Amino acid sequence: MFLFRTFILRRIREEKLRALATVLGVALGIAVVLAVRMANQSSVRSFETALEMVAGKTSLEIVGSGSGLREERLLELDWLEQFGQISPVIEGEARASFPSGDREWLKILGVDILRDETFRDYRLVRFAGRQQSPSPREFLELLSDPGAIVLTQKLARRHSLDPGSGLDLDIGDRREALTVRGLLLDRGPARALNGTFALMDIAAAQWLLGRLGRIDRVDLRLKPEISIDRAEAAIAARLPEGLTVQRPSRRGRQVEKMLESFHFNLTALSHIALLVGLFLIYNTVSLSVVTRRREVGILRAVGGSRRQVAGLFLAEAGLLAALGCALGVLLGGWMARGALRLTGSTLDRLYIRSAAEPVALGPEHLVLAFAVGIPLALLAALVPALEASRVAPTEAVRGADRVESRFRLSWRQRWLPPILSTLAVGFACLDSVEGIPLFGYAACLSTVFAVAFLVPVVLHFSGRAGSRLTRRWTGVEALLANANLSGSIPRISISVAALAVSLSMVTAITIMIGSFRETVQYWVEQTLRADLFVAPATRSNVYSESSLSPEVVRVVADNPRVAAVDPFTGFVIDYQGRRVLLGSGDFKVHLDRSGLLIKAPRQGQSAMRTAIGEDAAVVSESFALRHRKAVGDRLVLNTDRGRRGFRVAAVYYDYSSDQGVVVLDRSTFRKYYGDRPPRSLAVYLKDGLDPEGVRAEILAALPLESRVFVHTNASLKAEVLRIFDNTFTITYALEIIAVAVAILGVATTLVTLILDRKPELALLRWAGAEQRQIRKMVIIEAALLGAVSQGLGVVAGILLSLILVFVINVQSFGWTIQFHLPAGFLLQSSLLILLATALSGIYPAYRAGRMPPAREA
Amino acid sequence: MPVLSVEGVGKTYTRGEAPVVAVREVDLFLGKGEFVALTGPSGCGKSTLLHLCGGMDYPTRGRIWLDGSDLGSLDEASLTRIRRRRIGFVFQSFNLLPTLTAVENTALPLMLDGVSPDVARRKATGLLERLGLLHRLDHYPQQLSGGEMQRVGIARAVCHDPLLLLADEPTGNLDSANGADVLELLQELNRSLGVTVLLATHSAEMAAAGQRVLHMVDGGIESETHSRRPIARPDRDNEGG
Ligand SMILES: Nc1ncnc2c1ncn2[C@@H]1O[C@H](COP(=O)(O)OP(=O)(O)O)[C@@H](O)[C@H]1O
Ligand SMILES: [Mg+2]
Repeated sequence: MFLFRTFILRRIREEKLRALATVLGVALGIAVVLAVRMANQSSVRSFETALEMVAGKTSLEIVGSGSGLREERLLELDWLEQFGQISPVIEGEARASFPSGDREWLKILGVDILRDETFRDYRLVRFAGRQQSPSPREFLELLSDPGAIVLTQKLARRHSLDPGSGLDLDIGDRREALTVRGLLLDRGPARALNGTFALMDIAAAQWLLGRLGRIDRVDLRLKPEISIDRAEAAIAARLPEGLTVQRPSRRGRQVEKMLESFHFNLTALSHIALLVGLFLIYNTVSLSVVTRRREVGILRAVGGSRRQVAGLFLAEAGLLAALGCALGVLLGGWMARGALRLTGSTLDRLYIRSAAEPVALGPEHLVLAFAVGIPLALLAALVPALEASRVAPTEAVRGADRVESRFRLSWRQRWLPPILSTLAVGFACLDSVEGIPLFGYAACLSTVFAVAFLVPVVLHFSGRAGSRLTRRWTGVEALLANANLSGSIPRISISVAALAVSLSMVTAITIMIGSFRETVQYWVEQTLRADLFVAPATRSNVYSESSLSPEVVRVVADNPRVAAVDPFTGFVIDYQGRRVLLGSGDFKVHLDRSGLLIKAPRQGQSAMRTAIGEDAAVVSESFALRHRKAVGDRLVLNTDRGRRGFRVAAVYYDYSSDQGVVVLDRSTFRKYYGDRPPRSLAVYLKDGLDPEGVRAEILAALPLESRVFVHTNASLKAEVLRIFDNTFTITYALEIIAVAVAILGVATTLVTLILDRKPELALLRWAGAEQRQIRKMVIIEAALLGAVSQGLGVVAGILLSLILVFVINVQSFGWTIQFHLPAGFLLQSSLLILLATALSGIYPAYRAGRMPPAREA
Repeated sequence: MPVLSVEGVGKTYTRGEAPVVAVREVDLFLGKGEFVALTGPSGCGKSTLLHLCGGMDYPTRGRIWLDGSDLGSLDEASLTRIRRRRIGFVFQSFNLLPTLTAVENTALPLMLDGVSPDVARRKATGLLERLGLLHRLDHYPQQLSGGEMQRVGIARAVCHDPLLLLADEPTGNLDSANGADVLELLQELNRSLGVTVLLATHSAEMAAAGQRVLHMVDGGIESETHSRRPIARPDRDNEGG
């Protein structure tokens, strides 16, 4: 303890800045991991809690083939009453516009209130001006008005609404005016989704959602004496064709599964910053050991044991890590909001409407931070600490010139890079583990460590090349800088490795995203051929249920300038526990006009033609990869007519959903699922017409209350790319944090090197160097470090990007990406990194310049 | 029984291409309370021999007995314990820890050995007071003069009542006045504490302080001269007897 106080704490106090930088580095790493974790948790948890709250006492639910079942089928289900009470339910989404101009999405639940009261816990606080709860009968009367809606008290308070207020709802492509008839107390389903929940009578909801005659599911509340497992089996055996019984939690697990890859990749990404933070600990302790070898030798000479020495340095790491973790928890809680906002829009666009509120910082996160941060920090510090414990007592008396050993390749530097590279190649060839590319990441990690171990060698040779260059071409400062760095390779290797590693990851991810963007752009060019695209304004993602009303379809189809319309319809189905979009299009129009990119078979067009009028489907690449289906295989779907097999006619490239899409031709779809309103229209105009003009015509002809987006080809393409760029904002944010942490590492290394070189610097000053020259020398050193790191980072980054593009992406999202090297961007970022590292040299340069010249030579 | 017996000890460094024989076939016996000087030209192996005697390095040949233990046969941990309890070392370049104050530097071996900081500090304070450094207790090494630093170094070396005090060119970094002070201090401690002293120096003048002077050439002890100064008996013993 005494030693720790004097040997470590005092030193830390002396080098507050370095300690601070280390703590900050660890804190950022921990914070990023926590923030991403919290954001991920909130998106799944908010869905699951909402599901639970809305499910109430429901034990089982009966669902149809796709979206819902026809109301008449309820008649076939009266025998369910012997298991318990049943309640038919319809659910939907609408965007509410409040008088203040604010907008919020509402989840609408339509129920038969008399039957449903025992399922869910509704408590009206205020209705029709009265203050006490209504009887079920009064409740029913209140809801029987088709324009009546009941909101939550929380929402009403947020937008200052009262019973009797009017409310505009956008549903599908229409706007409807409703009246608030009552407010729900904050309990039961009303607690879900931060109050954005609305209750309606089932008949009114069917009409509002444009699904007359259909319900989504039948909820069943079992009698207490019946076991759920037995009931589930008995009901499954008796259900008519096309209906399934399941537990409400299945929908939650589906969402969890859907988000699994997305979350896993974000988590992996967040660990880069943590990794760099740990490098910083390693860096700090190593520098501490390297610069204090003599002191360690003295400690050993006067009787300090190996264990004591190692313990000291571990304690230093532990202390810095503990401070870092504590700060990281605070930072993480704060960053979670940002992470949620950044991932939220992606989730909305690609998967599911997500939560607005991050989960609160809990003891779980605290434990996670410390349980991950401190052991890893100690592990990172173990190598230098052990090295310190091996310092011989005689090192105390040896001259300073013997401390810095001349550069020699150690066995680690000689053997590890080739071994690790071989491992990386091996890992890259292995398949994913349950859809998670574990080996892909192992390959990345091996590559990263190979690079780290290669750093001293690279420094050695670049130093030699540098000395040849500087001797001839540059001023004395650069010459000195290069000599200084070459003379302290063991000390700078670690910081350079940390920076190179994080830069390589940034490079890799930049290349991956660049390639992906290029691919999507090509795909959009090829696939989006229609002149106009019509979709409901409330449509937010591929899973959204919004559809177009018949009037809108008619206006478009009747326009004389329109040559052909390809209506796309579909809904989300549960395919082996995963959410898959089952769609339908007009294959003939498609074949004639669009450029669907077929991956297999080679004769894609004719293969697709054979699917018309057949029990055959065209599936997206992600579906084929996730469910291991190839052309010619059969896939079984739940249809309105029961389970049916469909032949896979072709696999096409698709980047709109990573969950998979199954497309049937219109006629086949209608045969098995009946007529459904289209979700969007691809409109082809007669030759040579101006799409903007036709767009204006269509918009003018639409009914007044219509809420429809009509995109021209160009604007839709732009929109797709905008969404794409949006998706990767968080990726860049995480990357920038990792690089910032690494640059912190370079700055701390430089400061240490300078403190360590005091005598030489003093001598330099004594020999006539001006402050200005010393500062310049240090800044050049910083830039040189940056240059070597970025050089190494770019090379390693290209290797990593190959793994990302060809292994990880394919395994976790099922997307083929064409490799593309964004050379211009890489050049730009390299210059930027050079500038940033040079800037990081400013403070060390200032410190160095301030040193007084030696008094005695 | 001698405090230190060195029997046929040699040390060869094999780092680099050609092996360097730093010490060859040395026999040396130090009795309790002796003050022995080891002299010879620079590079003759004095430091190496001192390191071997102080358990800081292993000999490549021969045996070194200190207080009944064969240093060459001990493992690193036991050797560390011996250094901490039985040996004091005074360095040419002082080797004070820059982050520790004078009194802390002095108390370091005691504290490393588990003595409570209070007790260790009291003992170190007493010692520094005796060495005229009371006003420097809480100063850091960089705030001390060379002579003061070396006195702290000596205080550290004797703070734990070692059997054997090894001093390697203790005056090498000091001017002659300070050097003389340090030498006197060593003699005084030898007398008052009865600690056995082995002093390595390349200066014949310094070496004259020893009761015995060993002349080293090329790693071996060439000759030995005796002075008439009596062997020290600790003051305590005198008072007691
Ligand atoms: N660690 C070492 N590695 C190699 N040779 C050494 C080492 N330490 C000392 N020597 C060599 O051993 C010889 C004796 O050195 P040393 O004991 O320091 O002599 P002195 O203290 O008498 O000046 C010298 O030639 C020196 O170069
Ligand atoms: Mg010497």
